[in-house]
Amino acid sequence: MAIPVTIADDSALSRKNVRRAIPEDWDVTISEATNGQEAIDAVEAGLADILFLDLTMPVLDGFDVLRYVKGNHQKTVVIVISADIQPKSVELVNSLGAFRFLQKPLKAEELKQTLHEVGLL
Amino acid sequence: MKDLLLTEDQRDALQEMMNISMGQAAKSLAQLIDVQITLSIPTINEASPDDLVEILNHSDDTWYARQSFLGQIKGEVLSLISKEGCDAMAELMDYDKPLCDAQTQELILELTNILSGACLSGLSSQLELKSNLNMPTLFNSLTNGKPNYNWATVLLVEVCFSIESFSFNARVVICLEENSIVALKASLDALLS
Repeated sequence: MAIPVTIADDSALSRKNVRRAIPEDWDVTISEATNGQEAIDAVEAGLADILFLDLTMPVLDGFDVLRYVKGNHQKTVVIVISADIQPKSVELVNSLGAFRFLQKPLKAEELKQTLHEVGLL
Repeated sequence: MKDLLLTEDQRDALQEMMNISMGQAAKSLAQLIDVQITLSIPTINEASPDDLVEILNHSDDTWYARQSFLGQIKGEVLSLISKEGCDAMAELMDYDKPLCDAQTQELILELTNILSGACLSGLSSQLELKSNLNMPTLFNSLTNGKPNYNWATVLLVEVCFSIESFSFNARVVICLEENSIVALKASLDALLS
């Protein structure tokens, strides 16, 4: 059965980059969210067993989403894809239970490797 | 008549590039001071030189620095740094306290170099358009007078870095002059295709 995946990013270009980087042979159903609240809604609606999450977003940012998921949906696998590469941001992301932190601009090969590492592929 | 308005796709792509550039800028500063910096969502606006004069209009709570850049894209970077929080910032950056005027000036120019330098170099490298940034100078509209711009239209790409624990914030505004907007649009289209 296809795995529900949500891409949460306020940039259309960035969402498209993630979509393109997702391996073609991976059986997933992709939804999109354009801010943190929509990301939480997607998780609540069962559309995000896997959540690709940006950090700098309007309404609620990615850190808020991570806090919510940690408190309410621990089975959701969150992979953060962000340009906020400060050491303290990476630390905070890890402490909030994200599986991985990938740096923007996203490289397709790196995403594929990460999915292998965390046993999703 | 040149078409200087950005399409929605161009705007989105430019915003994302600026997001990546500001992440690099914040990392450079965060590594020096070991404090997390909050990043804003970049904004993009068409403006006139009068709007730039307005941005530089003196306010007692802000330091201003200007820095021009030349090359395949041209324009100016304005940095607006809050006076509040500068003492805490100086301490984290190993300046001796209390700050004398010369040291304050050095601090503002150093912050400007770190933040605006990384923002512009990140942007121009992603756009594949070369540009060289000149040294920043402090600016005070009360003593320096009104800046003179011979552009009709500019594009303002603005980001804000803030540190809540000591109420510091820095605005970096990249102003592109009109011929550069044409080059920018062409480059964005090439990257989007």
